[in-house]
Amino acid sequence: MPGYKLYYFNVRGRGELSRLILHYAGVPFDDFRFEGKDWPAFKSKMPFGQVPVLEVDGEKMLAQSHTIARYLARQHGLAGQNDWEQSQADMYVDCIYDLHGAMRTPTWETDPVKQKELFDKVNQDTIQPHLEKVEQHLVKNGGGHLVGQGLTWADIAYYAYFTTPIMTRLGGEVLTKAPHLKKLIETVGNNPNIQKYVETRPVTSG
Amino acid sequence: MLIETFYRQIGSEIVTNKSFKFSMPVYKLHYFNNPRRGRAELSRLIFSQAGVQFEDVRFSHSEWPNIKPTTPFSQVPILEVDGQVLAQSNAIARYLARKYGLAGKDEWEQAQTDMYIENIHDLLNAAAVPFMEKDPAKQKELYQKFMTDTIASHVVAVEKQLKKNNTGYLVGKQLTAADLAYYAFFSDFIEVKFGGAFLKDAPLLKSLIDRVKALPNIKKWTEFRDSKYPEEN
Repeated sequence: MPGYKLYYFNVRGRGELSRLILHYAGVPFDDFRFEGKDWPAFKSKMPFGQVPVLEVDGEKMLAQSHTIARYLARQHGLAGQNDWEQSQADMYVDCIYDLHGAMRTPTWETDPVKQKELFDKVNQDTIQPHLEKVEQHLVKNGGGHLVGQGLTWADIAYYAYFTTPIMTRLGGEVLTKAPHLKKLIETVGNNPNIQKYVETRPVTSG
Repeated sequence: MLIETFYRQIGSEIVTNKSFKFSMPVYKLHYFNNPRRGRAELSRLIFSQAGVQFEDVRFSHSEWPNIKPTTPFSQVPILEVDGQVLAQSNAIARYLARKYGLAGKDEWEQAQTDMYIENIHDLLNAAAVPFMEKDPAKQKELYQKFMTDTIASHVVAVEKQLKKNNTGYLVGKQLTAADLAYYAFFSDFIEVKFGGAFLKDAPLLKSLIDRVKALPNIKKWTEFRDSKYPEEN
């Protein structure tokens, strides 16, 4: 088993998907989190001055949050059963990347009233139209999983996105019109490995 | 047997034997006709470098409202592969790169290729901010900031990786979609808009871009593309 060290801030953010994949797959890793004040010291060590970064066996480094997650998913059987399924899973996770981008401004807004306003706009303009499509595809695929007939990292990515602190706090109604996706997300959350991790992970703002 | 007889026999076997069916997938890449390159260009470069035929479907913005509901997520580019549809520019590029030997020689190199493609994706997203700015003075300011804040530090980081890899390529010892992605962004967009000054301290990156530009299949594609779909600057 390779030695994994995942470098990221002590938040969920763009590191959480990889953490969830590793926990789901039951793969041990060094979940290395640092505080904001320690970042400058680490920044210069990272290939592109950004995190998350995955260090493998103490020597090779991989950057880009979804590249890391995809690599781990592939290494541990969570990426789809064939090339086409793998690309479908990629497609869904790329959609989540876009949704993360859209949610950035509301996430960083400190005024609660303004934050709710921004959140509602992103939900209305971006998330709801996307969910309408996802729900259609999910039903067409048999209703259980996004890709193929088993769990992939795409399902985990949607779980991660729709259970972020801001989503938990302000997004109570977000999945109302997407019952199949809502159920899928609950199923991922009910996985014993995920549950155990979620119960013990650090409580963070994002 | 006589050569003639030999070939006649092979020929009839090809016609009658179903296992001889050549099954190259039918590819249709759908994107706007403006921007002409944008988020579809990496996939077009991959097709071209790999020598794979594809239908390069480009539609006008007035046609988009009719096309939009037929796409998986109301976005383009999309790739049709024998009628099945894949969305998201990077998922498409990644699928084609892996299929046609432009994604590195093993899983780790594939991951590195992905990483570089995603770097470019971030840079494209960052460039979209000034690109969309309507006020010319503000746009100039935003582009300036983009070049000094975002591009400059990234070029330094990439140059360092190229030096470390020491093969002339971003990943491993051969051309990958990562090199194509960097060529597409830095040559087709940055160099065209801002000139090559930003590359003056990045000889390895400059050399890579020039080398990709000169690849026979890439040259063939860009010459065809530039005459058929001249880009507005």
